[in-house]
Amino acid sequence: MFNLIIRDIILQKKQLMIFIPYILFFILMGSPPILTFLVACIFIPFNAYAYDEKAETNILLNSLPYTRTEIIASRYLGAILYMAVSIGITSLALLVFNKMFTWTDIAIAVGLFLLFASLTFPLFQILKPGYISTVVLMGFILTSLGFLRMSRHLPEYAAAISEFMDTFSDPVLYTGAAVVVMAVYAVSWGVTTIIYQRKAF
Amino acid sequence: MENVVEFKNVMKNFKGFSVNNMDLQVKQGFVTGFIGANGAGKSTTIKLMMNLLRPDAGEIKLFGLDYKTHEKAIKERIGFVYDGNVFFEGLNLKDIKRIVGPAYKRWDDALFYRYVEQFNLPLNKAIRTFSKGMQMKASLAIALSHHAELIIMDEPTAGLDPIFRRELLDLLQELMLDGSRTIFFSTHITTDLDRIADYIAFIKNGELVFNQSIHEVAENYALVKGGTDLLDRDTEQVFLHIRRTPTGFEALTDNRSNVKSLFGNHVLMEQASLEDIMYHLKGDVQHV
Amino acid sequence: MQIIISNSSKEPIYEQITNQIKASILAGELQEGTALPSIRQLAKDLHISVITTKRAYEELEKAGFIYSIVGKGSFVAEQNLEVMREKKLKVIEEQLNAVITNSREIGLSLEDLQQLMKFLYEE
Repeated sequence: MFNLIIRDIILQKKQLMIFIPYILFFILMGSPPILTFLVACIFIPFNAYAYDEKAETNILLNSLPYTRTEIIASRYLGAILYMAVSIGITSLALLVFNKMFTWTDIAIAVGLFLLFASLTFPLFQILKPGYISTVVLMGFILTSLGFLRMSRHLPEYAAAISEFMDTFSDPVLYTGAAVVVMAVYAVSWGVTTIIYQRKAF
Repeated sequence: MENVVEFKNVMKNFKGFSVNNMDLQVKQGFVTGFIGANGAGKSTTIKLMMNLLRPDAGEIKLFGLDYKTHEKAIKERIGFVYDGNVFFEGLNLKDIKRIVGPAYKRWDDALFYRYVEQFNLPLNKAIRTFSKGMQMKASLAIALSHHAELIIMDEPTAGLDPIFRRELLDLLQELMLDGSRTIFFSTHITTDLDRIADYIAFIKNGELVFNQSIHEVAENYALVKGGTDLLDRDTEQVFLHIRRTPTGFEALTDNRSNVKSLFGNHVLMEQASLEDIMYHLKGDVQHV
Repeated sequence: MQIIISNSSKEPIYEQITNQIKASILAGELQEGTALPSIRQLAKDLHISVITTKRAYEELEKAGFIYSIVGKGSFVAEQNLEVMREKKLKVIEEQLNAVITNSREIGLSLEDLQQLMKFLYEE
């Protein structure tokens, strides 16, 4: 199954060449570190879906000695693996440019990425081929815009939010958030597997 | 284990099309040709065989194993060639090998490169730039490089020039020297089958009309020609389909001996080619 | 071993093979114990299906011309040439009887028939 994860790298050899400039662009634009981490995480897994929307790809993968459960598992595990690698590279790039970032930035970016993946992965299996790339792009732009808007309006809600958050201690807050994100990811994984099992190619 | 593939009462319904009660066996060590008009259900059957589609009812077993419990073990032993290119168009053959090869336990790199050389395939050019024939050769090279026991092909000869079609048949015969190997392929070019097929499975409107050895087909089916005055409500019963013209009739029978005892020497009986059979059975069968 | 297949012949291909192998055995070209090519090899060489050569060998085996050993292949069987000759003679007798019947029907004399026979035999 590891082969299925490696497949993304072979497929995206060319796209990976723009990975570094893509990250640098966000860094040099002075984007908040959270956003930079987020866009970096999204790059590989969502590019992979542009290939997977093709019926031929699914016919190929399903004709090889893989089970459908494994094909979906490789998507979900691959997303985590590539997320970790992307965060490593982005952190390095940020350090090189002497930009400040915190563990919290990484944690929030990871959380947001996993939630975004949880919502979109099952959606990809339902949508008709041909629409997936569009949806990825739209979803990405909307998320980014939403995130930027939110961060702009954040001060207004800050008081309310911080008041709400203050009722929890930091460790509880982080652990709680982590558990919720992981649970959502796991549920999404299960749902996508069920949808994929029933598909006809 | 004599049957490599076994369909029992397989049903699959789509809007406006269905595969009904299909019982299909593919014998080990032989070439089975799968014929039928376009849209008769050949690709659907192959997809059911590959577990790309799941039957609504009935049972499908390969190598005596069920897909529910042995999907990987089954696919490990199958080499597949589809009608269109299923490989990533933008990649070259070397990269495709890097993706496909590790999927198989018995992948044989040396064998793969031997086929690449034999077929004159470029390793560093994107599949997109390949001609139809080259794409077919590339699929074949990949399908044959993991010592598959069952080779399933969907219209492998469609769109190929006659020279490569012949080369392909030569290659398939070479593969058949290994007595444990089985080939199942669909085609609508019936002349491909005259040379290498041992068994013919004929599908029409989602139903299997017959699955017989080429000898049984030759012994049962015949083209009968004679004067229209010989035909009446009773005698017509021995035919599957009759084409009448002012100069006489031409009919298809699947029961030579009946025709012989009924008409004796008053009719001319000829060997029916697969094409004759397909042509006469294209519509609904009139009698029987 | 030479075998020539005609695709346009009315005679089924498996029969063409059995007849040619039989002839080679009777003519002494294929000696007792000679190994025949495997059915798969022969199919490949003749560009015909495996089931066709398989049937040809089965027919030859039934008629006692060859025998097969699992895993080893097929071999030319010992031929009792005396018995073969007897069988052939019997067939010839039957055919001659038919010729005589036909000759009588059109009043062909024995002498004329012998002459015709001589002419055809020497041709």
